Amino acid sequence: MSLKSLDPRVTRLNLPEGEVPAMEPKPELDQFETYEAFHQKKEGAAYTYVGPVHAPNEDVAFLFAKEQYSRRFACTGLWIVRTENVQVTPYGNDNENLYDSLQFEVPTQSSDIPEPYEIFHLKKRGKAHTHAGRVMATSYEEALQEAKQAFGEKGPIVNVWVVRSKDVLQSAEEDKDMWTTIPEKKYREAIAYKVMDKITKYKEENKPTTAQ
Amino acid sequence: MYGGGNVFEATKFDDVQTEDPAKLEEFEARIARGEKIEPTDWMPELYRKQLIRMIEQHAHSEIIGALPEGTWITRAPGFRRKMAQMAKVQDEVGHAQLLYSAAETLGKSREQMLTDLISGKSKYSNVFNYPAFTWADSNIISWLIDAGAIVNQMANAKGSYGPYSRALERICAEEAFHLKYGHDAVVHMATGTPKQREMIQAALNRWWPPIMTFFGPSDKMSTHTETLMRWKVKMASNDECRQQFLDMYVPKIWELGLTVPDPNLKKNMETGQWEFTEPDWDEFKRVINGDGPCNAERLAVRRTAEERGAWVRRALLNPKAKYVKPLA
Repeated sequence: MSLKSLDPRVTRLNLPEGEVPAMEPKPELDQFETYEAFHQKKEGAAYTYVGPVHAPNEDVAFLFAKEQYSRRFACTGLWIVRTENVQVTPYGNDNENLYDSLQFEVPTQSSDIPEPYEIFHLKKRGKAHTHAGRVMATSYEEALQEAKQAFGEKGPIVNVWVVRSKDVLQSAEEDKDMWTTIPEKKYREAIAYKVMDKITKYKEENKPTTAQ
Repeated sequence: MYGGGNVFEATKFDDVQTEDPAKLEEFEARIARGEKIEPTDWMPELYRKQLIRMIEQHAHSEIIGALPEGTWITRAPGFRRKMAQMAKVQDEVGHAQLLYSAAETLGKSREQMLTDLISGKSKYSNVFNYPAFTWADSNIISWLIDAGAIVNQMANAKGSYGPYSRALERICAEEAFHLKYGHDAVVHMATGTPKQREMIQAALNRWWPPIMTFFGPSDKMSTHTETLMRWKVKMASNDECRQQFLDMYVPKIWELGLTVPDPNLKKNMETGQWEFTEPDWDEFKRVINGDGPCNAERLAVRRTAEERGAWVRRALLNPKAKYVKPLA
């Protein structure tokens, strides 16, 4: 016997009915690695953290993030970083500047010549990290020190993410076309549904007749 | 879409007394100051476990909730409705992704959560164990189940855990369309032909009992409940959510000339509270524990998707891949 559903497509799946053996637990990495996504809301705005995606590689992560985070709202650019490639400082308290209390550690690994690093600041717990800017450094630790000098004055800052620029997959200028269809999809906006007009009309037509 | 995250508090948690008092004090002071907790902060085991449970059930509810509505995409009347229904279902699945990630930051892997969903160990909102017989049922889900979900989610968005709040903010922004879309669909039917009115009333009659159980039974105020409220994990009692929902939506149902199938439903003007027939909690328990009209189908469909897609995921897996928890 196979499972009968109200939905003929489900019935056609021929799913077994009744007791079935338990599913094998999903193996490790069945859901892949994680990547972190940052979006740019409009031209010239700082890139802001939107959230993670699971993906088998950077390119697929980009596609997933495009669907997940730029499907519904305006977007002009997307950055993707493998989670492992983000260096995270400890979290500080709200209303304080983390750079003031940060212990700068001795680099464990450094490059011969300086290379660019992207710096992201979290201004308040619960909010999203935003791109503060780019510094040149030979290690994550040096990048953090450079960041303190370059943009560490304007607190509060509760957490800092440091990423090597070459680990960031950035959408290209000519990719922007992929977001241009969004304004056409008005049926996904609350404003497209003029419910009140219909209700008012209905009430007008169905006024209870008052007794004479 | 969401529901029932606070319903199943049967697990025995570690005693808060065994936590490091200095760390606990610092943690509680942070929450009392109105600051959010972020993933690398120290947190009590009870906080971590309860949040994993809530967020995971929320995620499962999104992914399973997409099934009764998804089934109507191909049969939605007209192209515009198909597009809108598809966009809504896609949103719900996207919400599941956001929520699974938020739960992952607390230390439970997505593989484990999906395994627990399919084995029945983790629950999802009980309302999705009921079928959507007609297009009108799908409309009632889009409007009233989403409305209930929004009441719940707006409350939880003010909770203390940073990643959950961030996910919920995004979810609530997307849900604004769902609610209007659902309301519009119901209004269209209710102000249409006699046959359409009859269909939407029949769907409301079918869905009202599950809707009344949506927020779960009255909370038993235990020490745990008080602790979870102080820690801003639980933001409102189940009864408060239910009352708020009735306040907001019963008038909107009545203004369409539809009836709510509960002769005892009325607002007590002295207490300001809605009175209603107590939902059938025995049925609720029976259905949650597997004996509902659609439990087997929902899990079988989910499981089939997992099993039939497994070879694709294996083929794509980078052999050097290494799992790192998402950051925030």
